[in-house]
Amino acid sequence: MLGWEFPPVINGGLGVACHDLCIALTKYADVTMIIPKSNPDFVVKNLELLGLNNIDASTLKNVSHQYDGKTFEDVHFIPSNINPYYTEFADIRSSKYIKNVKIKDEDVDVFDIDDLYGGDVIEKVMLFSKLATRVALTKEFDIIHAHDWMTMMAGMEIKRATGKPLVVHIHSLEIDRGGVHSRGWVYETEKKGMDYADLLMPVSNFTGDIIHKYYGISRNKIATVHNGIRPVDAFRSHKPFDESMVLFIGRLTRQKGPEFFVEIASKVLDYNPDVRFVMAGTGEGFRTLIDRSSYKHIGTRFHLTGFLNLDKVRRLLSMADVYCMPSVSEPFGLSAVEAVQFGVPCVISKQSGVAEVLKGSLKFDFWDTNRAADYIINIINNKVLKEKVTQDAYEDLKHISWDYSAQTVINNYVSHGICLN
Amino acid sequence: MPSVCFYFQVHQPFRIKRYSFFDIGNDHFYEDADKNRAILDKVSENCYLKTNQKMLELIHRHQGKFRISYSLSGVFIEQCENYRPDVLQSFIELAKTGCVEFISETYYHSLSFLFSKKDFKRQVAEHAEKIKQYFGQTPRIFRNTELIYNNELAAFIEKMGYKGILCEGVDRLLGNRTPNFVYQPAGTKKIKALLKNYRLSDDIAFRFSDRNWSDFPLTADKFAGWVHKVAGNGEIVNLFMDYETFGEHQWENTGIFEFLDHLPAEIMKHPDFDFKTPSEVIAAYPARDVYDAHDFISWADIERDLSAWKSNSMEEEAFSKIYALEKRVNSLGNQDITDVWSKLQTSDHFYYMCTKYWSDGDVHKYFSPYDSPYDAYIYYMNVLSDFELTLKNAESGKPALKRRKAETVTAD
Repeated sequence: MLGWEFPPVINGGLGVACHDLCIALTKYADVTMIIPKSNPDFVVKNLELLGLNNIDASTLKNVSHQYDGKTFEDVHFIPSNINPYYTEFADIRSSKYIKNVKIKDEDVDVFDIDDLYGGDVIEKVMLFSKLATRVALTKEFDIIHAHDWMTMMAGMEIKRATGKPLVVHIHSLEIDRGGVHSRGWVYETEKKGMDYADLLMPVSNFTGDIIHKYYGISRNKIATVHNGIRPVDAFRSHKPFDESMVLFIGRLTRQKGPEFFVEIASKVLDYNPDVRFVMAGTGEGFRTLIDRSSYKHIGTRFHLTGFLNLDKVRRLLSMADVYCMPSVSEPFGLSAVEAVQFGVPCVISKQSGVAEVLKGSLKFDFWDTNRAADYIINIINNKVLKEKVTQDAYEDLKHISWDYSAQTVINNYVSHGICLN
Repeated sequence: MPSVCFYFQVHQPFRIKRYSFFDIGNDHFYEDADKNRAILDKVSENCYLKTNQKMLELIHRHQGKFRISYSLSGVFIEQCENYRPDVLQSFIELAKTGCVEFISETYYHSLSFLFSKKDFKRQVAEHAEKIKQYFGQTPRIFRNTELIYNNELAAFIEKMGYKGILCEGVDRLLGNRTPNFVYQPAGTKKIKALLKNYRLSDDIAFRFSDRNWSDFPLTADKFAGWVHKVAGNGEIVNLFMDYETFGEHQWENTGIFEFLDHLPAEIMKHPDFDFKTPSEVIAAYPARDVYDAHDFISWADIERDLSAWKSNSMEEEAFSKIYALEKRVNSLGNQDITDVWSKLQTSDHFYYMCTKYWSDGDVHKYFSPYDSPYDAYIYYMNVLSDFELTLKNAESGKPALKRRKAETVTAD
């Protein structure tokens, strides 16, 4: 497996998903995970975890392999000192992302990046694929399983070098993040990677549709694997106020539809002033949102928390009456499942993967704020409805587990001829 | 001499529109008139007109030996009055042949027997009046909504003067007995029960076009062969089904009309077999045993009980809210208000709220006009909230809230 985010170094849900899926898979397969950065103290049972920050890059030069990124990259070489795409191994050592560190009293050159996404992420991704390919060539394996665009280059390169089948797990796409007209290096990488892959595993049928529609990939090689969830010791706690509480959790970016949440709030408050709307998360849209909420005169009933750690998020979940997820394009939407774990009824957009697994939820098109407001008012006013939705969602929870996801991964391998059994 | 007894249920509900919370107090017309009309038009073209034409032809072809029965719900007839008088007329033509019996039910296709015997009686009487008005018959046989039935109902119906009642032949009540005899409902004296033979009925209604069925394709002579096997250990074969089986559930291109066209002749190839209407069956055959249905049974879903309408908290809540209004509605004596209240009792509204199908297949979803059972419940409860406002207004003597009536059409 090829991963980018992985605990304890994570940025979003991807790391958690990769980690949990990996562990669940070890029950059914031998798994080696290659990631940019790992903590040697972070040991996972039955999982071989290889962080490039712990592997001496200079030892890899003995691995007989001619990196051929240009096959996939269409790179044109121009004489320059600052060309990050130059592909000879010698160049690896001169990269600013290779650092000389001491491991067990030995001087070694290792891949070292502080921030997975900051700086020149393209160079990081290129360098990762060069190193990961060489690491992979020292290993025995049957299937290459890459996660998202950051590791697709590596996946393609390993497939080219070994002839092993490439499976790409899709957690999120450029189309989700940037809208349907997004194009650019990341989109191109995704498209090449998915074209070159033997099987794609999106985390929802919704994402599968995007892959087909916006990347032109045949549905024959798309097989959905819905995400699982980690069990949690859920609890309920008292709100410090009497009003009902509607909660939004997520980065305040276009993809998550925060402006629709504001819109929904203003519609609900028109009819029922005894509701508070809480937005937990931070992001580029923060400032405009505050302006907008004051413009709509809902300021006293609308709260922006900024970034919250896990404990605080859970406390909010334990107090919430309704969880609202108006995402414009949500490959899965694990936060809704977390809300269910805390017994909070969900009002979620149909443009989300989680809508496919949560029958116990009220679903609306993200732009249909009237309908979402209607749902929220009805849940707040009608105890029977609230309890029924919550109860049904609990039932759904029985079928959402990483073990189930891992079994689906294996079944998809077999049914698509990636492996025999 | 065994008889085949055909009975067809014909029903279309007044579906409720997507009635949001924001509509409460503003919009007092609850029906989804456009959708109701569109569905009635579609089913009329696919099923009612074609099948009625075929039935008429068969009755004439067999010179009165092919005999059938129908139950048309009051709300179906009303929609025909509003939108499709031609369909109503085609049923009247069938009635005129003298080979067709019309059966009694609750006008609103409701579950009122479970909640208010008084209102149940009113609805049955209202329905009988409508049948008399159009078809010139006073129904002698009763069938409750979706064949919902128990001993108590049979006794109650007997007291109302009915001679027979239709119900489901449920395996757990029959044990090793067959549904192919007339039965005596437990605790009754005279009324007789006709039990649906669900295997043979469902062969036509559900399995006819199922390519995975080992008996696919079903031909008239093959089916007649199965019916003929009853000779010697049964006196009647009750084939009860939704009328929409013909042309709507089983599309025309499945060959269902050809099947129907040949069936009477194939069945009557055996000289001992004939067709009888329910009243004729009851006159011809004595009850051979007692049918003891202590708990409610029905013909719905695999459970064949009340769970299609009454198995979750939303349905319970909706039922309790609508029937809690009975006294207030009655004491007003306002016909318009009574009409709206009665139409909210139609069983379909509750059927759409069923969440059972998540594990049991998707029949409920197939019929539902909504995205989810929650929507069905939310719109229904929002409508009820508005209806309560209407009630309050009427009780305090304020002028009635304005309602837009469904537009009606006249026959071409």
